[in-house]
Amino acid sequence: MTQKLSLLALFVFIFAFAAKAQDIDLNKMLEEEQAKEEKGKVHYTEATFKTTRLINGHSIENIAPGIMDLKVSHRFGTLNSGAYEFFGLDNASMRLGFDFGITPRLMVGVGRSSYQKQFDGFLKYKILRQSTGKRTMPISMSVVSSTMVTSLKWSDPTRKNFFTSRMQFAHQLIIARKFSESTSLQLMPTIVHYNLVPKANDPNDVIAIGFGGRQKITKRISINAEYYFQVPGYKFSGTTDALSFGFDIETGGHVFQLHITNSRGMTERTFISETNGKWSKGDLLFGFNISRVFTIKKPRKK
Amino acid sequence: MKLFLLVITGWVFCAAATTDPVIYTSNNGSVNFRSEAPFELINASSKELKGAIDASKNNFAFRIRIRSFEGFNKPLQKEHFNENYLESEKYPEATFNGKIIETVDYSTKGKYTVRAKGILSIHGVEQERIIKSDIEITGNSIRISSNFTVLLSDHNIPIPRVVKEKLANEIKVTINTELFAK
Repeated sequence: MTQKLSLLALFVFIFAFAAKAQDIDLNKMLEEEQAKEEKGKVHYTEATFKTTRLINGHSIENIAPGIMDLKVSHRFGTLNSGAYEFFGLDNASMRLGFDFGITPRLMVGVGRSSYQKQFDGFLKYKILRQSTGKRTMPISMSVVSSTMVTSLKWSDPTRKNFFTSRMQFAHQLIIARKFSESTSLQLMPTIVHYNLVPKANDPNDVIAIGFGGRQKITKRISINAEYYFQVPGYKFSGTTDALSFGFDIETGGHVFQLHITNSRGMTERTFISETNGKWSKGDLLFGFNISRVFTIKKPRKK
Repeated sequence: MKLFLLVITGWVFCAAATTDPVIYTSNNGSVNFRSEAPFELINASSKELKGAIDASKNNFAFRIRIRSFEGFNKPLQKEHFNENYLESEKYPEATFNGKIIETVDYSTKGKYTVRAKGILSIHGVEQERIIKSDIEITGNSIRISSNFTVLLSDHNIPIPRVVKEKLANEIKVTINTELFAK
């Protein structure tokens, strides 16, 4: 009995001292609590790229619902056209586009390019969002579907021409991952469908695989690269793969994208399947995209 | 008998030790900040302020997750706030830890104005600050409200020239929270 009691006494003392000696670190306590809470939440990765376009093509980004993004893009002539053409600056083509965010996952856009007098429209839907925390998703994935209509005059007005012959379609899957705060990469398998092809032995479906990425060099500037590899046998004869490099420069509500590319067009079919400039020959074009966002519908106050 | 006494004193000690650190905590305090620049007024708030006060030592700790701030004038502004200004990936939280200068009698109800002295850490930059706060002891809780300013330049957050007229260097912060005894 006495033994038991003495043991108990010892326990009680140890307990009392332990409690006394323990200096409660409030900061640590909150930190642990926070960490525990974070595990129970899903954190979606944001800002994989600065804007919805990488260079010519789409990036994984969507614009927020209720936002309109005005995009003005220019491509000048080739740099190797010489001093007479002022290294291409005399010869500009442009695309004016309006993109709208509908839901956090869906955006739509329309545009008009001076090159080949094209109209285009697209839908972009985010299927997967990269996340950490309660639900871990290593990648983001989007699907982009665009339709292009060329409004050039018929090359042969005497034969029977169909409106559908003016249409092309491009479908892309975009798989992206933000590896770190400054590095993001994406993969873009693409199929471009032509209702009417330029030459008899050209395929109606062009298949390409795009690779792209960005590396931030400062908080507001990043270097981007984009390459579309056309699968042999599913490409037009005499075309080259589109390869582009550029900078994203962000200033408040604007994003400026400056780039060097070997393609003239700014719609999927023109840069993926109809690029014919060669980097080795200096058939390079300087271009820029300017993006300006406007709030057209205020989000509801919570 | 002696042993029995020992046990009793032990218990008393133990009880004294356990009642000693009375900790008050909260998980859902509100923080609001305001930038009043000539061309733009920016407002954002969070209801995720965590706080703790150790009444026995007069110590306190506060913590807020930067990404929990909502509001702003447009979604892109929130993105830039996280990406370019607060860099919330690198510095996910802001904290304020320290000691209350005045001795507060936590057992009697009443309102006090106290000065909280501690280290304010925002954007990874620590500043020693004395922040005046109104506190109210209600019996089982402590209500805290405080207004203070934070200078962006104190925390190494530069304002780019193009937004100089749209973003104030002096940010007004309001805090309201109620901490309950644990």
